[in-house]
Amino acid sequence: MTHVATHFELFNLPLSVDLDVKALDDLHRKLSLETHPDRLTGADARERRIAAEKSASLNEAVKVLRDPVRRAFYVLELKGVKLDTEHAAAALKMPMEFLEEIMERREALDGARQARELSRAQSMAKEIAALKSASLSTAQTALRADDVPTASIALGKVRYYSRFLEEVEAFEEELAAS
Amino acid sequence: MAYSDKVIEHFEHSKNVGTLDKSDPNVGTGLVGAPACGDVMRLQLKISDDGVIQDAKFKTFGCGSAIASSSLVTEWVKGKSMDDAMKITNKEIAKELSLPPVKIHCSVLAEDAIKAAIEDFRAKRAARAAGAPAAAATVARES
Repeated sequence: MTHVATHFELFNLPLSVDLDVKALDDLHRKLSLETHPDRLTGADARERRIAAEKSASLNEAVKVLRDPVRRAFYVLELKGVKLDTEHAAAALKMPMEFLEEIMERREALDGARQARELSRAQSMAKEIAALKSASLSTAQTALRADDVPTASIALGKVRYYSRFLEEVEAFEEELAAS
Repeated sequence: MAYSDKVIEHFEHSKNVGTLDKSDPNVGTGLVGAPACGDVMRLQLKISDDGVIQDAKFKTFGCGSAIASSSLVTEWVKGKSMDDAMKITNKEIAKELSLPPVKIHCSVLAEDAIKAAIEDFRAKRAARAAGAPAAAATVARES
């Protein structure tokens, strides 16, 4: 089986949750020039296809690596835990107190939504955003120390918090549309 | 992706949405989550002393398939013995609702929720048999 280059390898960067986004953008620009259609005027179909594929992989890699949340999930995936798959997610036992907390918060948000109280929902969102960034930071620390179980739980929390924030956004759109 | 008619039916007219008293010694509570999508499901069963499920309620924050799966199982478990309820598999749920492969995890969640609720009830009953919260049982009978 051929090794598919990781997003980090495409840019010759070390596998890490810490990354200089500015440096990444510079690298991306430089590498993109090499696959730019203008540079391939004399190229045959095969060369063009390879260039187009390379360009697509670079764009996808940048999207993942630029975003600290997606980058952390990706680093965890490279360490063997792909939280997006049902199997890995099912194997992940989230602490019961956390599930209870999320359930309570979702019920409270639901209450605010029924009552059409946007400001209440927004203040909940603010609190959740802070919890999300604290969990992300826990995950990053754990990933730096190669502590996969702690990182998995922390990123699991990030997923639940993100879901909550999406619901608040949906509520905002719902009100804006009415 | 289109939802099946049965999913839409359970989603729009969900059965048994609500809560049961968590502190009732005859109520078992199952709380499960799906870290892949961030959904949470709570399923509660009221179980008689001889092990028959008398009532079931759920509250699910998730997609249509997750809500339909929990609504369906609350219908299915009522009147069943705990042992029979434990035998409900996600395959039966997915088949009944014609869930597509990407939504199978919603039926897994519902199956796990039933098992968690029954385990919670059993743990409570074991604690009661051990004699610990006898006072709680008395209070529940009076209320």
